[in-house]
Amino acid sequence: MSSEPIKDLGEGIGKGVIKGALEWGESFIKNLANRFKENEVRFIEDKNTLEIAKEQYNSGELQIYKHYIDDKNKLMILRMGLVLRKLERLGERDRKQKLREDIMKKYEIKGLHIAQFVENGVLNRYIGILLDDISSIEKFKDRINEIINNIEKYVLFVKTGDSERFVLESCLRITTSNLSMIFIVSGMSSAAEIIRKIERRLTELLKDYELERMSKGDNENLFFKRILRK
Amino acid sequence: MELISLKEVSVKSKIALLKELGFNSDGEYVLDTDGDKVLDKYIEVPVKVNNMAIFPGTIIILDNNELSLSLYLEEFGDEF
Repeated sequence: MSSEPIKDLGEGIGKGVIKGALEWGESFIKNLANRFKENEVRFIEDKNTLEIAKEQYNSGELQIYKHYIDDKNKLMILRMGLVLRKLERLGERDRKQKLREDIMKKYEIKGLHIAQFVENGVLNRYIGILLDDISSIEKFKDRINEIINNIEKYVLFVKTGDSERFVLESCLRITTSNLSMIFIVSGMSSAAEIIRKIERRLTELLKDYELERMSKGDNENLFFKRILRK
Repeated sequence: MELISLKEVSVKSKIALLKELGFNSDGEYVLDTDGDKVLDKYIEVPVKVNNMAIFPGTIIILDNNELSLSLYLEEFGDEF
């Protein structure tokens, strides 16, 4: 496309903010608008955002989830969990925080928790445990959907500011009322620190469970598996 | 279809492009013909001029975030 973009020297609306930004001429803009109407061009602030979204759209991990989860909203949340993981790897803290807020707006706190469950690799570990004891594909599928649909019964997401006492009481309450085979305590950053501090007391409290620790960066996940006594 | 990045483009030029497409701006947000802020179709946040994506499908202006773009891809397919 022949173009006539020139450098903005800092005058006009973006003055003092985007020095050296590209300034498009009037005829160039008209041409772009016409090309848009002819379906020849699209516009985006940052191409990387689209690249990351597309990458997860085609990811192998998502293709595996699609075999077992039919709900389109849930699949989208799982996909966002993969994007959160990618942004964490890229060190894109601000973008990651923005995406967490967007997920919360769209899918509320439960959606964010499901996305975090994928982001920190716990869903994959859970699938691994299920694979150890698979009796039928249908049952396998049911159990994956059960944990995603009722995540609050299986996972305690510790928040910054939660007291140690509150976390310990919550763990007891959840495990006593649900008697689940798996129970996970998960937290990031300062919440991860709280989990580390209470790990010993938790193992003493949850005597019917054996502990598997999953630590990654500033992420702490305590994976409690119920012991089947003979 | 060509995908044009707006990252290096001046706010003034972005607003001129919006006007050419039938929209407007108060300098920060994208406005519709009635002067109301355009909301992202998927997450319902006002779209900022410095963080927008303009896609066809009549004209869809979205907030440039991974969730909205993924929902767009889901609805309209990957034609990029």
